[in-house]
Amino acid sequence: MMSFRSVLLLATLLALLLAVPPLLDLAWQNALVNVLIASLFALAFNLLVGQAGLLSFGHAAYFGVGAFAALHLMIAIEDGLAFPTPLVPLAGAVVGLVVGLVAGFFATKRSGVYFALVTLAIAELIHALAPRLEGLFGGESGIGSMRMPFAGIVFGSTIEVYYLTLGWVLFCGLGLYLYTLTPFGRLTLALRDNEQRVRFLGYDAHSSKVIVFAISGMVSGVAGSLLAISNETANYSLFATDVSAQVVLQTFVGGSTVFFGPVIGAAIFALFSFLVSDLTRSWVFYQGLIFVLVMLYAPTGIGGAIQHHIRHRRQLDWPALAAPYAAMLFGGLLVAAGIVFATEMVAVMFGEDYARTREAAGGALIPFELFGATWSPTGPSTYLIPLVLLGAGIAILVKVRRRIDAVWAARGEQGSKTQTLATTGGIQ
Amino acid sequence: MKHLTLVATASVAALATSIAHAEPLRIGIIESLSGAQTSTGRLYANAVKYGVDRINEAGGFNGEPVVVTEYDNAGGAPEAADKFRQAVADGVDIIVQGASSAIAGQLTEDVRKHNIRNPGDEILFMNLGGEAMELTGDKCQFYHFRFTTTAPMRVNALTSAMKEAGDLGTKVYAINQNYSWGQDMQAAIEAAAPEEGYEVVGEVLHDVNKIQDFAPFVARIKSAAPDTVITGNWSNDLLLLMKATGDAGLDVTFATAFLDQPGNIANAGKTALGHYIANNYDNAAGDGTFAETYRQATGHLPIFVEGHSAFAMAQLQEALKGLDFAGGPINVTEIALALENSTYDSPVGPISIRKEDHQSIRPVVVSKVVENPKFPAEGTTLGFAPVKIVEGKDAIYPVQESCEMDRPEG
Repeated sequence: MMSFRSVLLLATLLALLLAVPPLLDLAWQNALVNVLIASLFALAFNLLVGQAGLLSFGHAAYFGVGAFAALHLMIAIEDGLAFPTPLVPLAGAVVGLVVGLVAGFFATKRSGVYFALVTLAIAELIHALAPRLEGLFGGESGIGSMRMPFAGIVFGSTIEVYYLTLGWVLFCGLGLYLYTLTPFGRLTLALRDNEQRVRFLGYDAHSSKVIVFAISGMVSGVAGSLLAISNETANYSLFATDVSAQVVLQTFVGGSTVFFGPVIGAAIFALFSFLVSDLTRSWVFYQGLIFVLVMLYAPTGIGGAIQHHIRHRRQLDWPALAAPYAAMLFGGLLVAAGIVFATEMVAVMFGEDYARTREAAGGALIPFELFGATWSPTGPSTYLIPLVLLGAGIAILVKVRRRIDAVWAARGEQGSKTQTLATTGGIQ
Repeated sequence: MKHLTLVATASVAALATSIAHAEPLRIGIIESLSGAQTSTGRLYANAVKYGVDRINEAGGFNGEPVVVTEYDNAGGAPEAADKFRQAVADGVDIIVQGASSAIAGQLTEDVRKHNIRNPGDEILFMNLGGEAMELTGDKCQFYHFRFTTTAPMRVNALTSAMKEAGDLGTKVYAINQNYSWGQDMQAAIEAAAPEEGYEVVGEVLHDVNKIQDFAPFVARIKSAAPDTVITGNWSNDLLLLMKATGDAGLDVTFATAFLDQPGNIANAGKTALGHYIANNYDNAAGDGTFAETYRQATGHLPIFVEGHSAFAMAQLQEALKGLDFAGGPINVTEIALALENSTYDSPVGPISIRKEDHQSIRPVVVSKVVENPKFPAEGTTLGFAPVKIVEGKDAIYPVQESCEMDRPEG
C-alpha cells in the first residue's frame, strides 16, 4: 500500500494540477490538455504491454473509435438529445470496449510478434476502411460538432475543457491503478510472466487476455473521446500508424515496468512537441533520438530509472553520487548541444533556402546564419565546435559512468545484494 | 512594499508602451512543414511570406508591419487543431493553409467555433489550396475564403480548351484517387460531358498513394480505347500512371490538375509531351513581370502553388488598402467584408470573391507540355506553353445548394 509520504506527494501534485492552469496562458492550458490525454492513452496502452506483456502496434484503432463515438454523441446532443456533456466520454468507453472485445478476441489467439502483427493489421484495416465509410467517419475532412453547455457550464473555454479532461483522466487513472491491486490485476501480471502456468492453475488464459485487451481498449476510447471533446472534430488520420507508434514511444521512454512510467513519457513527448515543434523542423528527429538513447542506456525507461533510485535510496551514498551526477548532467548537456548544433547546421546547409541563396550567389559556399551568429561552410570553427562539444561531452560521460558504477557497486556492501551491476548500466 | 511599487510602476510603464504601439495585423501560417507534405507546405509558406513582405514594403498595416508566424501542423488534422489554439493564444487575426483539404476542413470548423464563442475577436481563414467542394458547400461560412480553383473549374477549363485545340476527342476516361478530391473530379468529368460533347467510356477510383504498379489500370484504359484520360491524381499516383501508360505504348492525351508539381516533368521526361494541365497560374501565361519580381525577391521563379498563393496575399493587400483602424484594435469582420468586395488584377486576369460562398472567381490557365518552352522545368528542355486562359466568369460554377452562410449582422 501507499505510504503517507506518497499520499502527500500525490495530494501536492493534484493541488498543482487544479490550481496552476488558470494562471497559465491559453497555449499552455491547451498543452496540458494534450499531456493529460496522452497520459491516459499511454496508461491504457501500458495495461496491455507492461502488465499483460502484450505489445500492441495498433492502439490507434481504439483511441480513434472512441473519438468518433464521442463526436457522434456530441452531434446528437447538438441536435437536442438530453445527455450531459461531461459524460460524453462514456460513449468512447462503450465503443472502445466493444471494438476491443472483438479485436482482442482475434488478436490474443496469438502472442509475441504475431499478436503485434494482428493488432497492426486490425488498425490498418480500420484506417483503410474509414475514409470509405463517409457517413460514419466523414471522409477525409472528418466529422465535427460543438460542445454543448451543461448545467450552466458553457465548455467554451480551454480551461473548462482542461478540468473536464483532468477529472476523467484522474478517474480512469485511479481506476487502472486500483485494477492492478485486484486479483484479476495480479492474474494479468501472471499472464505476462508465465502464461502456461496460468493455464495449469485452471484459468482460461484466452478469455482473460481478451478481457484485459478490452479494458485497455475501453480506456483508450475514453482518451480518444477526450481528444474529440477538446478538438471538436476527428478525421480518419486518427487511425494512422503514427498515432499507434507515438503511444509505443511514450510508454517505453516513460518506462513500461512502472505503473506511472507512461505518464512521464507522455508528458515529456507532448510538452516536447509543444515547445520544440515550432522552433525547429528537425524536432521529429530529436524525438526519435531521445527514444533510441533511452532504449540503449535506460531500457526500463525514465520511470524505471527513477524507481531504481527510490528503491535503493537508503543504501546509496548520495553525497558521493552528487558530484558525478552533476558532471553527468553537464556532459549530457554538452552532447545535446553538439548534436543540436550539428543537426541544425546540416538542416540549414542541405535545406531549400540555402540552396536558393547559393544558386543566387552562383554556387559559392556562402556563410549562413544560425543561433544568432554567422558561420562559414568552409570555416574550421563551424565543424570544430560541434565536434569538440560532442567529444568533450562523451569523454565526461564515459569517465563519470565508471565512478557512478563504483558508487552503485559499493551499496551492495551495506545492504541489499539483489540488484546487480547490470541494471546500473541503465541509470545513465 | 518597495518591491511591489516597483512592479506596479514597471507594469504601468509596460502598459503605456503597449498603447504607444499600434496593434499589428498577425498572420499565422498553419502548414505541413514536417512529414510527407513538407515540400508543398514549404511552397505555400514561401509565397505567403513573399506576399506579406510586399505589404510591409508598402508600409504595413495599422501603422505596424504585418507579423507572420509559422506553425507546423505535421500534416495532420489533430495537430492542426492544436496549432490553431496556439495561434489563438498568440493573438493571430488571419490564418493561412494550403497543403491539405482535410486540414482545411479542420481549420474552417475551428475558426467557425472560435468566432461563435469569441464575438468581437474573430479570426479569418484564407484557404489557399483546400479544393474539397464541401468547404464552400456544407461547411461554407463567412470567415472562410478559398483562393484556389475546384474540380469543376479545372475540368470545365480543361475540356473546353482541349476541345478548341482539337485534342480532346470524343471518348474520355476518368481515373482518380478515391477520396473527396478524386470523387469531385469524377463528378465534374461526368457533368461536363454533354456540354463538351464527349462520352465517358470508363471511370475508376483507386487507393491514394498506395499503388506501385498501374499496369492493371492501364490495361483497363487500353481496352476502353479513350482519346483523353482526365485525372486529378497528384504526386506518385500521377507520375506512376503516366509512366505505366508510356511503358504500355498507349497513345492518349492526359488532362491533369497537378502535372506542375515540382519534379513531375523531370521524372516523366518525354512521356509528358503533349499532356495538358489546368491550374491557377503559369509563368508563361503572364507577361513575366510578376515572375521576375518574385525571382528577385526569393531567388527562384514561382513554381507550383506559389503563384496563386502570392496573388491571394496581394488580394488581401488590396482589401486592406480601403481600411483604417487608426492604430486601434484590428476588426477582422471588416477585413472579411473588404475582402468580399476586393478585386485583384493578377497577371492572368482579375480575381474576385463570390459573396454567396466565398469561392474566388478566378481565371484558369490551361497549358500543354512542349519542348523548349519559355520557362523550362528544372533540368529539362520540357515545360508548359499556355493554350488558353479561361476567364473567371466562364470558369466559375453555380453556388452549391448546401451552402448556408450566416453573415455578420449590421
